[in-house]
Amino acid sequence: MIKQLQAFLISLAIATFLLVTQTTASNLFWLHSINMPVDLTVILSTMARDLIGMNFSGAFPTIGLIFVGLLIAFVTARVISIWSALKKPYLYAAAGGVALLAIVALMPLAFYNLDLIAGARTPAGKAYLVLAGALAGYYFGSHQQNEVSNEI
Amino acid sequence: MKFNNVRIFCASLLFFSELALSSSESFDIEILAEGLDHPWGVTFISEGEILVTELSGNLRRVSKGVLNPEPIAGVPEVLFAGQGGLSEVILDPNFADNGLLYLSFSAPDADQPKLNQLNVIQARLEGNVLVDQKTIFQSDPPRKTAAHYGARLAFLGDGTLLITSGDGFNYREQAQALDNHFGKVLRFNTDGSIPQDNPFTKTPGALPEIWSYGHRNLQGLVIADDGTVYEHEHGPQGGDELNLLLPGKNYGWPAITYGVDYSGAMISPFTEQPGMEQPLKYWDPSIAPSGMTLYTGDMFPQWQGSLFISAMVPGDVRRIEIQDHNVVTEEIVFTDFGRIRNIASSPDGSLILVTDGDDGKLIRISVGKLAP
Repeated sequence: MIKQLQAFLISLAIATFLLVTQTTASNLFWLHSINMPVDLTVILSTMARDLIGMNFSGAFPTIGLIFVGLLIAFVTARVISIWSALKKPYLYAAAGGVALLAIVALMPLAFYNLDLIAGARTPAGKAYLVLAGALAGYYFGSHQQNEVSNEI
Repeated sequence: MKFNNVRIFCASLLFFSELALSSSESFDIEILAEGLDHPWGVTFISEGEILVTELSGNLRRVSKGVLNPEPIAGVPEVLFAGQGGLSEVILDPNFADNGLLYLSFSAPDADQPKLNQLNVIQARLEGNVLVDQKTIFQSDPPRKTAAHYGARLAFLGDGTLLITSGDGFNYREQAQALDNHFGKVLRFNTDGSIPQDNPFTKTPGALPEIWSYGHRNLQGLVIADDGTVYEHEHGPQGGDELNLLLPGKNYGWPAITYGVDYSGAMISPFTEQPGMEQPLKYWDPSIAPSGMTLYTGDMFPQWQGSLFISAMVPGDVRRIEIQDHNVVTEEIVFTDFGRIRNIASSPDGSLILVTDGDDGKLIRISVGKLAP
């Protein structure tokens, strides 16, 4: 149970880190493209401020959204795994991807078609975030599999 | 049910009593109209005749303190969604002779109904009907979002029309490009043609109607008698701005800003950059500035020359004094009316507040009977 919790928290951290840094990167890439003075110090300080800002001082805590999304997705995947022959890393990867897809797709429906996560405003950004969710899910699924084999 | 009505009545009585107590020494407060559905723009045909838009799509007339139950006919169909709908109404400088007025509103794109545009039309008011409608402006490209339209209108002294066009929220980077209408102030002649002395008419790739750029969601626009253009705009969290606008200038959004995104992310780590203008003032925390008037009336002589800014968060009216392009005074003058969508100076010198929501009110503030 503790190992499962640990795996969940690490997968949450993976998805959150990838989402936040993608928003940071998309903003800084654009600023660089219009010749704003983006250097390494700016990159690192902006990344640090976004990791804090998006998780603890925004209108909604990103980590909280992802927590809820992954929790629902992983519980659902756990139920599906009873009947499914799909390997757990792939099953949970799909679940993680769906969780992030739901977040980036449903949020605009609630807010006049606004993409409140800046990095999710483009199709490429949305696809990246789905992959981030899948990666987080893959990590979690991999550790599910290990735990089962240990029990045996 | 009856008990609830009594409670509401008592609460209202208490509210207005407190209002009267707190204000009676200086101001008379009169509700000119209520039950308005998201009122937004307001203008004065005469001292006793007011036009007010409802975001839901109606243009209403208040005559001598009475709201005409029949909306003015002939208003185009609007997209009433999010922040969109029937927005600004402004009279032609020669309205007394030609009866022309201008409306801004959001409407679905004719070719792509899932997208929408900011529109500005000219029309003639005949009785209670708008006739001879002519489209002056349609924003391009269309957007999928129903937010950040800008939609304020004002006439410069030379009779040309300024239109504020917001960044559409999702398209903020476009505010720095000159090939689109997102995040711009635009200048047109009243027939929709483009003045030849606009600042970008000779810039390759730039839209010739652009007058200034680098804006977010411009909600206040006033022009002083000396031609000074003041504008305020909703920033992100902590980045609402009051600007003095000049033609051809870049006001920086979103390359420089004092605010952060609603998600908590930095939009830009930069607050200044050569070639980009600084605001006269910014608000942190945000106040959600919603309307603005430059007071030139005689009723409150101590306030002549002040800017009055209505704000929705937490809901107040601020008086701003500017000297030599610097804000020297900011005071909150009214706080008792909730979210205030707009503010205007009446021809008689009183101030008219427009409250937000589906039970919006027009409130007249005049000098109190007990005032010295």
